[in-house]
Amino acid sequence: MSGQYHRPHGWAWFLERPGYVRFMVRELTSFFVAGYLILLLVTLGRLGGGEAAFAEWLSALSGPGWMLAHVIALIAAVWHSITWFAAVPQAMPVYLGERKLPAPLAAVVMGYGPWLTVTAVIVWWVLR
Amino acid sequence: MSAELTMTLEVFRYHPETDDEPRFQAYEVPYDEDWVVLDALNWIKDHVDGSLTHRWSCRMGVCGSCGMMVNGDPKLTCAVFLKDYYPRPIKVEPLVNFPVERDLVVSLDGFMEKLEAVKPYIIRDDVNDTSGGEYLQSPAELAQYKQYSMCINCMLCYAACPVAGHEDEFLGPAALALGHRYNKDSRDQGQAERLDVMLVGEAIWGCTFVGECTVVCPKHVDPAGAIQQAKAVGAQEFFKRFVAPKGAGV
Repeated sequence: MSGQYHRPHGWAWFLERPGYVRFMVRELTSFFVAGYLILLLVTLGRLGGGEAAFAEWLSALSGPGWMLAHVIALIAAVWHSITWFAAVPQAMPVYLGERKLPAPLAAVVMGYGPWLTVTAVIVWWVLR
Repeated sequence: MSAELTMTLEVFRYHPETDDEPRFQAYEVPYDEDWVVLDALNWIKDHVDGSLTHRWSCRMGVCGSCGMMVNGDPKLTCAVFLKDYYPRPIKVEPLVNFPVERDLVVSLDGFMEKLEAVKPYIIRDDVNDTSGGEYLQSPAELAQYKQYSMCINCMLCYAACPVAGHEDEFLGPAALALGHRYNKDSRDQGQAERLDVMLVGEAIWGCTFVGECTVVCPKHVDPAGAIQQAKAVGAQEFFKRFVAPKGAGV
């Protein structure tokens, strides 16, 4: 008599359901976001090194490899942001009395709206 | 009923008295477009093999007993039709992430312990005092938790959750959603007791918001949302300790 049967878990669990794959893609895009933040910090460091050092750094960044890296990082950051804002209505539902705001509207109120507002303020501050 | 038409059910079989490993057994069942998978399983048990073991009760998506993996997806077998798969074969397995007792029946002991741990009932300091009459609740207060109270403990969410399958300390979607349900109930005063259980180790923090629990839930409970909201409450309570005066009891 063997008793209960415990099914083994495979290492490739993240391929078992399309939802798991989407989850892993969402998580992996965070590496590109983090990588781009490090790049920005290095750029700020070069800026502190003087005009010549900054110009040299910008010239290096205009190469095809870096351009490709920027495009990939942008796509990853956009995907990460969209999926993050899509999850906002679940984590922060908005109630008007007994009615819950529909998810797309809640995503605007709690996610896209504040994001665009902060972005507009930063753009105004930089360009003024 | 189209008696001449049949389709194949490949059913997971495991009898602990005789089997060390599970096996799949194929059955030809009559195809009827009105039949759900549970009808086919019952037909097998009644006409072909009485030793086939599976749970079911209400046949109408209320009792939560007949959850199984149907072609790899956690489903209530009373709510998934043969016609959605015909003429392809249907593979029926017990819910994953649970120990298998026999054939399609899994052990729910671990879940029951986790459910009990979150104290899924109203807790009040004045439970014996009925002098004030009923506990009144407005429709707006009801709306705060009603969605989470629709859980039927069918366990589909545990079968869809990769964390539930890998992390024993994780309380899991249904138990956490039910804990959150009572925390959101305006009549309840037991949030602190529940958070003492929910915020320990990986109990709730194990959730990485994969979100498949919400996708498979047949009652639209949204356990993933409940868990994220409970995490936010837990984080607020953590920081309140630093700003509240000593002995304030927040």
